[in-house]
Amino acid sequence: MEKDPVILSAKGLTKKFGGLTAVNNISFELKRGEILGLIGPNGSGKTTLVNLLAGNLRSAGGEIYFNGISIKGLPPYRIGRIGVARTFQIVKPFPGMTVLENIAVGAMNGRSGKKRTIKKAFSIAEEVLEFTGLSNDSGSLAENLSVASRKKLEMAKTLAMDPEVIFFDEVMAGLNHKEIDRSTEIIQKIRERGISVLMIEHVMRAIRSITDRIFVLHHGNKIAEGTPEQVLNDSEVIKAYLGKRYEQLIK
Amino acid sequence: MKKNLLLISILILFSLSPFLTSNNFLIRFLTDILIFSILASSWNIIGGYTGYASFGNVVFFGIGAYSTSILMSNTGLGFFVSMILGGIIAALFALLMGLPILRLKGHYFAIATLGVAEAIKALVQNLNITEGNSGIYLPPPEMSVDGIYTFFFYVTLIVLALLLFLTSIIFKNKFGYNLKAIRENEDSANSMGINTTIYKSAAFSLSGFFSGLAGGIYAFQQGFIKPEPVFNVLITIKMIVMSVFGGLGSLFGPLIGAFTIETISEFLSSYFLVAHTLFLGIVIILMILFAPKGMLDIFINIRKKGLSYFRKNIEEHRV
Repeated sequence: MEKDPVILSAKGLTKKFGGLTAVNNISFELKRGEILGLIGPNGSGKTTLVNLLAGNLRSAGGEIYFNGISIKGLPPYRIGRIGVARTFQIVKPFPGMTVLENIAVGAMNGRSGKKRTIKKAFSIAEEVLEFTGLSNDSGSLAENLSVASRKKLEMAKTLAMDPEVIFFDEVMAGLNHKEIDRSTEIIQKIRERGISVLMIEHVMRAIRSITDRIFVLHHGNKIAEGTPEQVLNDSEVIKAYLGKRYEQLIK
Repeated sequence: MKKNLLLISILILFSLSPFLTSNNFLIRFLTDILIFSILASSWNIIGGYTGYASFGNVVFFGIGAYSTSILMSNTGLGFFVSMILGGIIAALFALLMGLPILRLKGHYFAIATLGVAEAIKALVQNLNITEGNSGIYLPPPEMSVDGIYTFFFYVTLIVLALLLFLTSIIFKNKFGYNLKAIRENEDSANSMGINTTIYKSAAFSLSGFFSGLAGGIYAFQQGFIKPEPVFNVLITIKMIVMSVFGGLGSLFGPLIGAFTIETISEFLSSYFLVAHTLFLGIVIILMILFAPKGMLDIFINIRKKGLSYFRKNIEEHRV
């Protein structure tokens, strides 16, 4: 059977907080093996959208499909187990556990946790540690990590879950140029493993270099969608998000 | 290796104490310490490892005590069967109570558990089967006087050993790692595929089971139980203080806590009949100030850091 080219899709997702419509009738498709960028000004509903997709928030309206199955309304742990992993914008490590243990918890649970023994989970955690460049921090407590390492740990925890889809919520915020390049490289390698990625990011350098497509939120509405070229030159996107200076910069 | 040998010889010496002394008072005192070690160690599973500070764990002790008493005096079942059934009933109760209450966090969870414990005490005080406030008598053990002391010492020791063995296995496995993950960050644990409700309830149940066994032993040892002493909130407080005093979320912490607190309090009360709780309070406050991570942490760090360990604690916690 031919696999559906779309791995995750949302149709008409809506979420209201009191009188405020944080996410308004959003539909999008994430294709298999693709890196899809999600950008927009602060408060435009990006994180709310990810919270809806990952089950952390209950949506008011709309549908979410993963591999053709509706996952709307499932609790976060069920979504984590079927193969959808996420990072948190405000990082949520297990502070009192070592970096290796943090990652091993992902390997013990997630999509393949049931098939793995504790020993296997730790050996997978070692691999992921290597892959994300955290090997030197293996034994230190997560609470003692630098910001850059914490962001990497967030990525590592999701990777260990053996997911098919990962949502990266601003994993590059607060990093310096060198660290951004490293993380960009890691995300590219993740895609090479066949994992589909939805990434929220403000770092334009990274967004432009690795995403296949981008869609833009503004006040909860989707205002643009397309290739990075198209979207970043869209006059409405420049007005709402990128700003006049950016326009001058690219000219 | 040398350290382990010392530890093992202390443990062997301790477990042989009924044969080393004919002082029944001492054996009874050690048994009491062991009962509190079971209680503090079971509290540690939910409060220390899972991070849910229960203020109502005495309810499992009370339910275990009452179930054992009712089974023994009404159905004629033997002590061991009744005690284990008592533990199971306490575990089931923990499961039922946990499903709604473990959704609460922090202070709210603490208050809810306290509320349930007080409510169950009131229920026991007013039910026919528990004979209300007049209490229940248990059939006395058919043994010699010395034999009774030795019997309770070993029953308690075996239950404690079983609990510690189980805990040490759990926390080397997925179940234990997931509980710790829940303590460290429940949202993250949930998103990683951990069904937090099930894990928390299981931990609470396990805590309830062993507290219930301790209740059963206590009831048979006393021969007579009443609602007020076995549902006394002070027992919960003791479990918490002992766990924190010894070292939260560690295997032997609660054990060390139970031993030191009980010994200090026994020593103080023999010298200061009225004011001994005042001095005990001071000891606990000093402990929290100078070594908030408990006695176990002192043992681990004092050799490396010396007295600066205490100074650092004070600085870190801005006293």
